[in-house]
Amino acid sequence: FGLSLPAVAVLLVALLCLDPHCRVGSAPICAHGPSGCHIPSLADLFDRVIQHSARMHSLSNDLHSEFEQYFLPSKNHIGKIYRKCHTSNILTPNGKDNAQKLAREELTEVILKLLMAWRDPLFQLHQSMAHQQDFNSFSSNKALEMGDMAHELRKGVEKVAEKMRVLGMLGNSVTGLSAAEAMLPLSDSGEAMSDYELLYCFRRDSNKVQNYLKILKCRIVPEHDC
Amino acid sequence: MRNSGAMLILTFIAILILQAAGVSPPGKPRLTSCRSPEKETFTCWWEPGGDGGLPTTYALYYHLENSETVYECPDYRTAGENSCFFNKNDTSLWVNYNITVVASNALGKNISDPVEVDVVYIVQPNTPEHVTAVVVHDEQGPFVRVSWEKPRTADTRSGWITLLYQLRVKQEKDKEWEEYNAGMQKYYNVFSLHPDKEYMVQVRCKPDHGFWSEWTQTTYVKMPDYITRERSLWIMITIFFVFIVVILTWTLNVKRNSVKLCLLPAVPGPKIKGFDKQLLKSGKSEEVFNTLVIQGFPPTTDYDNLLVEYLEVFDNEEQELVLDGKDLSEDCMKSKSPSDIDSGRGSCDSHTLLLEKCMDGREGSGSNQHQYSQHGETRWASTESSESQGPEPGSPDSANGRGKTWPVVFSSPQPQPHHHYPVGAAKPAYHSVPEILNHLSPHAMSSNYHQLNHQDILQQERRFSKPACRHSQSYNQFNLDGIDTSAPGVAPSPSLEYVEVQRVNPENMLLLRPLSDPNREPEGSDCTREDYSKVKEVTSNNILLLQRDMSHQCVDDYSQADQCTTQQPPHPCKPAVHQSNSGMPQEAIRVMGNGYVDSTVLINLAPST
Repeated sequence: FGLSLPAVAVLLVALLCLDPHCRVGSAPICAHGPSGCHIPSLADLFDRVIQHSARMHSLSNDLHSEFEQYFLPSKNHIGKIYRKCHTSNILTPNGKDNAQKLAREELTEVILKLLMAWRDPLFQLHQSMAHQQDFNSFSSNKALEMGDMAHELRKGVEKVAEKMRVLGMLGNSVTGLSAAEAMLPLSDSGEAMSDYELLYCFRRDSNKVQNYLKILKCRIVPEHDC
Repeated sequence: MRNSGAMLILTFIAILILQAAGVSPPGKPRLTSCRSPEKETFTCWWEPGGDGGLPTTYALYYHLENSETVYECPDYRTAGENSCFFNKNDTSLWVNYNITVVASNALGKNISDPVEVDVVYIVQPNTPEHVTAVVVHDEQGPFVRVSWEKPRTADTRSGWITLLYQLRVKQEKDKEWEEYNAGMQKYYNVFSLHPDKEYMVQVRCKPDHGFWSEWTQTTYVKMPDYITRERSLWIMITIFFVFIVVILTWTLNVKRNSVKLCLLPAVPGPKIKGFDKQLLKSGKSEEVFNTLVIQGFPPTTDYDNLLVEYLEVFDNEEQELVLDGKDLSEDCMKSKSPSDIDSGRGSCDSHTLLLEKCMDGREGSGSNQHQYSQHGETRWASTESSESQGPEPGSPDSANGRGKTWPVVFSSPQPQPHHHYPVGAAKPAYHSVPEILNHLSPHAMSSNYHQLNHQDILQQERRFSKPACRHSQSYNQFNLDGIDTSAPGVAPSPSLEYVEVQRVNPENMLLLRPLSDPNREPEGSDCTREDYSKVKEVTSNNILLLQRDMSHQCVDDYSQADQCTTQQPPHPCKPAVHQSNSGMPQEAIRVMGNGYVDSTVLINLAPST
């Protein structure tokens, strides 16, 4: 034979590669199911989503308080009566019973609708706050973060819905929101809402979202915290 | 027109009357708070402003946002006095309520300020229920596990409301509570509680956005009396160390002496002989140090003795001594004592003595020295065998009595009749004047050397006769160089004869003249007097102070002196100062009591070569 050492090494490598099972390729993450890597469960997804919504709501709450503190000294002045929020035409349950009566698909859809409805207004809010010199940088950043979080939350909820659909929990009645659903924050009178009104409305809607998500979670995955 | 005016006036009067009577429309009520315990119902409370003296009724009216429909409170009673309870059906979340209270009595009504309420934000749950605190015994020590339940009304199950719990613990005596956040769980483990103490526990809760509930009723829990593992360990360690310390102390105690020696070595006290520590303590240093003084130290030099001891007389080798051999031999035999240490052995070696032949005179010098080693005072009183000669009644005693002695410089034997010269081979060791005066080298001055015969002294009274008024040219010159010249006219005679100092010429020369000088002038015969001059002292300037004999003979001298005025030496009775160019050391020569010049000083102090 008289094979030299490098030749032997090459041969070994070739042998290994000839093995049909020995393949070097890119495998998708978690391609082999739960045993392969950790796939977040529905409960985990819900937890993440709920945390997101909690964070979002706290941001909106802070911004609203700041607004109220610095720009509207009197709490209960007459002029405080607002115009309707642009999301008022979305039917949302206003009580626990009503919320529990809704099916999970509807509930999910409501959540998604709400989140969708606020995508553009939040962006607008951030823009207007950034331009105004009355706001400090913190408020502007909060508004920006709020907008991003709303976006993330929507994505998350869509994933949850997807997950549920996969698991058979959701029927097919939930349809994807079309672009037509997206509404512009125009009041009945057609005037643009002020920043304060936007904040006021969003604070409420973020609370709704959080609440609805919790109900949904406890209805679907009632292991803990319920 | 008139009616309205009249009506107004009447109303005004009525009001005045009524006010005078003390009744008035009700005061303005005020809504104090609205609360929802479970986010499903809520209650509002108001306070009346004043009834105005008349029974007043209150009514609560509300309307929802963006709606003009006014509703009145559905339930005034459930929540108590001055309250309005909104039940589930009437409660809508995420909707603003505009609530007002109207107080009305017979005279009028009053409307409170409106209040905007969103139920979601006024949630204040009820207190948690069934708070229990249980002591759990763990291997690491007991702790308290506090558990509770959610308030009954809160529906956390469906997720409608999320409650966060908080508990606080303290002892009865403490002022501050220790608060712990339990999150959403309904139990909590409290550690680090002190044993055998009673603790108070309280719990409250809060929705994620809302108000804190009230604290629950106090729950008491008593910790058992236990010893923590940590404490028991410390106790054991302490006991162990105490034990070690006890053992060490006992060991030290047993060996305390050796320990004392080791740690505190003895400080040696002073070991000075004669040193009294007590005196030192008492303080007087003089007394202390006086004891250290040894009497007699340092020895004071008695130069007399020393000098006497070292006094040597050496003879000139060329000199012949005519002695009474018999006597001398006797004396020599007797007095010869080679063992005499102080008999001038050292002087033999001394160069200052200018010994030419030390060996010759050694024996003699020894005996001589022995003889001369006596103290000056005792010489005369010496009762040695040398007295066989017997003191001559004449010269020695008289000399002694007079206290005049020849300076040893000139002749040693003369003033000491007791002392015999060594006989035989030994020649008397004379100190020749040149020898003594000249420390450099012994020079024989045979021609000028006059021997003095001891015998002659004894038997005859040798006198120095005054040459009187003759200035003899013959003189003995003595100077440092050691003159070998012989005085002209002065023939060395074998016989001993005296030499007298004639004078000192300006050239610092001692002029000697033998007594038997034929050149003497006849006048000088009268001058034959016993005329001794002794050296009183040698001053620092190399001056020999001679002292003339103060005697009747002086008178004669005087007379003689008159004759020789020009060439007389200085006044005879005055100390003649003769300069000697001896080169002797400058220290004074001490004159001893008997008139001897202590030449040991000269010897000793002369530079040794």
